[in-house]
Amino acid sequence: MTSSGPSPILNDYGFVALVLVMALGLALLVAAAFLRAPGLLMRTPSIWGQFRFGYAVYALIFLAFDMEMIFMYPWAVVFADIGISAFLDMLVFIVLLGAGIAYAWGMGGLEWE
Amino acid sequence: MGMIATAALVLVALVLGAALTLLVERLSTPHHVEPGPAQAADVRHSLVIANSDRWLLPAGPVVALTGVALALVVLPFGPGLIGRDLGIGVFYVIVVIDFVVLGLALAGWGANTAHAVEACYRIIAQLVAYVVPLGLAYVGVIMMARSLSTVAIVEAQSGLWFVVLQPIGFVLYLVTGLMQSYRAPFLEPFAASIGGGVLDVSAGWSALLWRIALAGVLFLVAAIGALLYLGGATGPLLPGWAWMIIKTYALMALMLWLGRLVRPFSTAQMLALSWKLLIPLGLLNVLLVGGLILLGVGP
Repeated sequence: MTSSGPSPILNDYGFVALVLVMALGLALLVAAAFLRAPGLLMRTPSIWGQFRFGYAVYALIFLAFDMEMIFMYPWAVVFADIGISAFLDMLVFIVLLGAGIAYAWGMGGLEWE
Repeated sequence: MGMIATAALVLVALVLGAALTLLVERLSTPHHVEPGPAQAADVRHSLVIANSDRWLLPAGPVVALTGVALALVVLPFGPGLIGRDLGIGVFYVIVVIDFVVLGLALAGWGANTAHAVEACYRIIAQLVAYVVPLGLAYVGVIMMARSLSTVAIVEAQSGLWFVVLQPIGFVLYLVTGLMQSYRAPFLEPFAASIGGGVLDVSAGWSALLWRIALAGVLFLVAAIGALLYLGGATGPLLPGWAWMIIKTYALMALMLWLGRLVRPFSTAQMLALSWKLLIPLGLLNVLLVGGLILLGVGP
């Protein structure tokens, strides 16, 4: 087995890392350009701890649905090659998801509290 | 072309795309309409906030900018005109573009002012509203293209654009794209009533970086929409990159125009819209597209 150069994946994500580093560099350059800008001071009381959020149940349902949606991606790529059986599998999956939404809705989960 | 030159071109594309987006938005926003993320920036001063977190607040715009820059890597502007054609293309876009949300949340919480922390909560609620229906709009396209690669998705539309085959998916994308880019009618996190939210606590370098990142998000959303539904960088007569730019800004203009026809949504209304209408519609769209493919429609 001979290998010539880094693997394509390493090369691709090496490029992604390079863009990441250069974007950080760009941000640093912009920040450096404003070092001498005259400063303003904003005085406000600390308000951490004074807030509550009204969508806790939404957020929990969201976690479940976000993961379920991720499972759809590999399925979607191979769907056309597998055909009807993949469709029926996903039909069951989507019926379950739909039942999940209907249940959450019925139990009052889709409300701002 | 060397790796560094290509990476630099990705960043140049981001800055130019964001600048043109900001120009389009500033010129097209009438005075009686809230500008949202495109509001004027104070770039003459720097800002010190008394009780803010030392690291979270400045980290916000940097994280958001890198997210937008990373997403641009897989955007094809024509044959060979792409940072890298990653195998997981559009899935990668969904993941890295949400660094904008992380950045906004970091800065909003870190600023520790009433307006900014309120904006932080609204930003996260908006994410909970749009991610699932947006992802379902992507799934329909992936099923027909049989690939996550952005280049393969454009190739799959050489016969017929997916907007024709998946009109429900396209409408879903328009609505959720407006949510993802915080444009009217979904600009509650940047509403004038909370002083522009996170932008209220930005000046100087952070104001400038926020404008690049937030205009960059709209640019990306329109470009990805052109890629998923309008055939991307392909078309007659003109070169591919010209078509990509025309389609991107035409789609952006359509989205901005449609968005301003509707009364602004509160965050609670947006969550209800998403979970009671858009997500069921998205699941239906996946089934319809599956049925079409089984009937032999599509590439």
